Amino acid sequence: MLKTPLCLAASLAVTTALCSLPATAEMTKSLNLNGATGLIDMPSGDAQRDATFSFSTSILGPVSRSTFSFQVSERLSASFRFQTWRDWNTVLPGDSKEVDRSIDIRYQILKEGEVLPALTIGMQDFTGQGLFSSEYVAATKTFGDRIKVTAGLGWGRLGSYGGIGQPFGTRPPVSPTGTPNSDQWFRGEAAPFGGVEFKLNDRWTLKGEYSSDAYVLEDDTRGFLDRKSPFNFGLEYQRGPNARLGVYSLYGSEIGLVFHVMLDPKSRAAGGVMGAAPVPVKARPSRAADPEAYDGGWVSQPDAGPVLRKNLAKRLARDGIAIEDLAYTATTVEVRIRNGRIDAGSQAIGRTARALSHVMPASVEVFEIVPVVNGIGASKITIRRSDLESLEYTADNSSLLRQRVTVTDAGPAPAHGIGDDGLYPRFRWSLKPALNISEPVKGDIGLRLSGTYDIAPGLVFSGSIYKQIASNDDGSSTLSTSPLQHVRTDRPLYIENGDPAVERLTFAWFARPAPDLYSRVTVGYLERMHAGISGELLWKPVDSQLALGVELNYTKQRDTDGGFGFGEYDYDVMTGHVSAYYDFGNGFLGQLDVGRYLAGDYGATLAVDRVFANGWRVGAYATVTDVSAAEFGESGFDKGVRFTIPFTWALGTETRRGIGMTLRPGTGDGGARVDVDGRLYESIRDYHTDGLDPDWGRVWR
Amino acid sequence: MRLSARLLAGALALALVAGCGNENAGPGPVVGMVSTMAQATLAKAKARRAGGEAAQAAAPVTRADLEQYGKPILRTVVPSRGLDGFLTISDQKGAVVTWTTTDGATFSLRDGVLIQTRGLGPDLMSAEVPSVAALATAGGTHQRVYYFLGADDQGTRRTYDCTIKVIGPDRIEVFGRTHATTHVEETCARTYGSIKNDFWIEGAKIRQSRQWVSAGIGHVELVHVID
Repeated sequence: MLKTPLCLAASLAVTTALCSLPATAEMTKSLNLNGATGLIDMPSGDAQRDATFSFSTSILGPVSRSTFSFQVSERLSASFRFQTWRDWNTVLPGDSKEVDRSIDIRYQILKEGEVLPALTIGMQDFTGQGLFSSEYVAATKTFGDRIKVTAGLGWGRLGSYGGIGQPFGTRPPVSPTGTPNSDQWFRGEAAPFGGVEFKLNDRWTLKGEYSSDAYVLEDDTRGFLDRKSPFNFGLEYQRGPNARLGVYSLYGSEIGLVFHVMLDPKSRAAGGVMGAAPVPVKARPSRAADPEAYDGGWVSQPDAGPVLRKNLAKRLARDGIAIEDLAYTATTVEVRIRNGRIDAGSQAIGRTARALSHVMPASVEVFEIVPVVNGIGASKITIRRSDLESLEYTADNSSLLRQRVTVTDAGPAPAHGIGDDGLYPRFRWSLKPALNISEPVKGDIGLRLSGTYDIAPGLVFSGSIYKQIASNDDGSSTLSTSPLQHVRTDRPLYIENGDPAVERLTFAWFARPAPDLYSRVTVGYLERMHAGISGELLWKPVDSQLALGVELNYTKQRDTDGGFGFGEYDYDVMTGHVSAYYDFGNGFLGQLDVGRYLAGDYGATLAVDRVFANGWRVGAYATVTDVSAAEFGESGFDKGVRFTIPFTWALGTETRRGIGMTLRPGTGDGGARVDVDGRLYESIRDYHTDGLDPDWGRVWR
Repeated sequence: MRLSARLLAGALALALVAGCGNENAGPGPVVGMVSTMAQATLAKAKARRAGGEAAQAAAPVTRADLEQYGKPILRTVVPSRGLDGFLTISDQKGAVVTWTTTDGATFSLRDGVLIQTRGLGPDLMSAEVPSVAALATAGGTHQRVYYFLGADDQGTRRTYDCTIKVIGPDRIEVFGRTHATTHVEETCARTYGSIKNDFWIEGAKIRQSRQWVSAGIGHVELVHVID
């Protein structure tokens, strides 16, 4: 996977090129230096539009912040931030630079009304070592269409200047770090803050605020910032719906700069999915007019199968669809397809049905389409040909067709199938540039050579080698001192010693042992750090919101040099999980895994993701195991946020690829799982009803 | 930041060296993005010109040129996409005729009234539309329902209440041939706004029209040049 803000920037450019400024008089709910909804350095009571995903980068003298924020729902939002303090050793000895990561969470209690203001309660850096920790309540009211006033009360950093007392008692120091600092929340000195935004026009906004952050750490303790005044003011420029720039005078001594990119996962940059129109459905002659066309005698012709498959393959190839198998009777056809390109399962099914209408003799009334993933059937979509014909140009044809279509278990491969269209055995390879970005401006670029040998349906031999070309990871990462087995924290050694490295070299077997059951066995070099055997079994009826799975792995830790040896660590471990997956609807997916992790620790992982039909995905997870916070390291326990941005969203073109990134406050050895390819749930979900239905309308696209 | 600039330069250099292999997955992502950006800019520039210059640009084409193809031709202008082309029929089922551009965008019309588009991006997925007879009835009212793929490709609909206003007879010239038509204006309103469609009806047939497609596309102009 490519991982880079570069693509964000590129997609932004696409977006701004295509979208014009919204003609709304409503005032923008802008972001602050922290990448959270707010004024300049202070938060506000506003919230972003549902699902807004933003990336902000700001500089306040020697303090820089890069923040990803996501409006999880209409009221709930969260942020993940990288903070860097330069000149850290100005007064006290130490490194010249301090780096920290933090997580925020905000909830809008009250939406703005005619009289009432918007009211938000928020916690900033609420699980970290506390360098940015603060809690607040902020209210914002709009007056007319140009003026917006915010007033709030802050604790922690936001209560450090102009305090009015300690309404909820004293604030204890952070201990231990990395866990939710619940004993600190809303404790200690509280201080008021506030500010005004004045919209000059659709592009320019003036902002002024009174800050309750004394910058004690930066000014008093570390002495690299001279805070003279609580007043900040500045100017912001909105460039289209996706970009905003701000320049400020901060704390009477510093110039501040901020740049925000705001993305809407729900809307494609191109306004809709591009790609050529489908071929029209081929109408059959009416039975009365041409009864002979409906004669099923053709099934007995020996060459019918190969001819039909050839004609169908030719039509489907235009849409990047390959035939895995084809079986037919005089009235029914079952085609198993591999969809390589179209991002929406429903569109791939629609295109296949249209192609069948051109190829199959008129006597074939039932189309059974089975999308195949990793050689196994994910589901069976049954469409009556006459419905396809009669609904093609009917108003609301997608709902009407959905009512007439059934989605069922794929079932076993057909007994009298005529096989694939040259898919097995087959060797595929690629050499592609790859980016590995560990932080917004840190990482490396390289080349990845991948090969896949499809032996038979469900049997795959594959591998990849990565060679670094350039890196700006200056090797400053210190060696791990983790008291646990270094199952993850020796990553710097793996990067340094293994170039080039064999990332993966595996043999995988995917199968359908019974209806609603899916299985996977993977043997070999599963990932960069661990090798062994991994087995998985998943239960997931096609129309069920719930899925259950078990996974069992036996692995040995690989040498850091990227070769095939195991001499360096002499560590082997049995890990495994019982998993429950649940689709809450509206795109929210939950997953709970309970079991044993790589360092031999026992615990559970809870993850929630919001997935969009176009492939956007934003989520968070946390793993708690019997490893103590002290043993885990600075960040206490494993947690993080992750997101995937599909190229189809930025480009409008048909592709199933995207960029993804997982951001963690810190890495430890506790709560780590084997990173094996081809886990079952995600690979089949697209073709089950919960994956097909949200964008079913694309069946006619 | 210096280092990140180097990283960026390296990434761009790599992007130019498009990946290779025997898996046909289309152009690399960055290359693809750059070309989409270029196309978008081009489309925008074209769209700016489309208003004034499109007609002139098409002027060298004469009726004789079009007739030699020996098939029906629909001139279609999509100002928002900078598209101005002569479309031919790709499908005909009863009253519904689907017209296609050379690069794979289609427009389906029921008796000349637009019911679907494909390949434009923010397409009209399907629609409930009035008949030509209803459109020709002065003071007539009817309902129009448009179906789209909305936010995150979820199906959405817009329902409008429409009224017909007959503007009057209008002699229009289409590539050197004059048609005696009646200009009809269809105004459709819903709570959140209204749209307008214009039809030039010749007998029982729509000769020319200006019809709304979607919020992202706006209006298209359709002229039946060769029947």
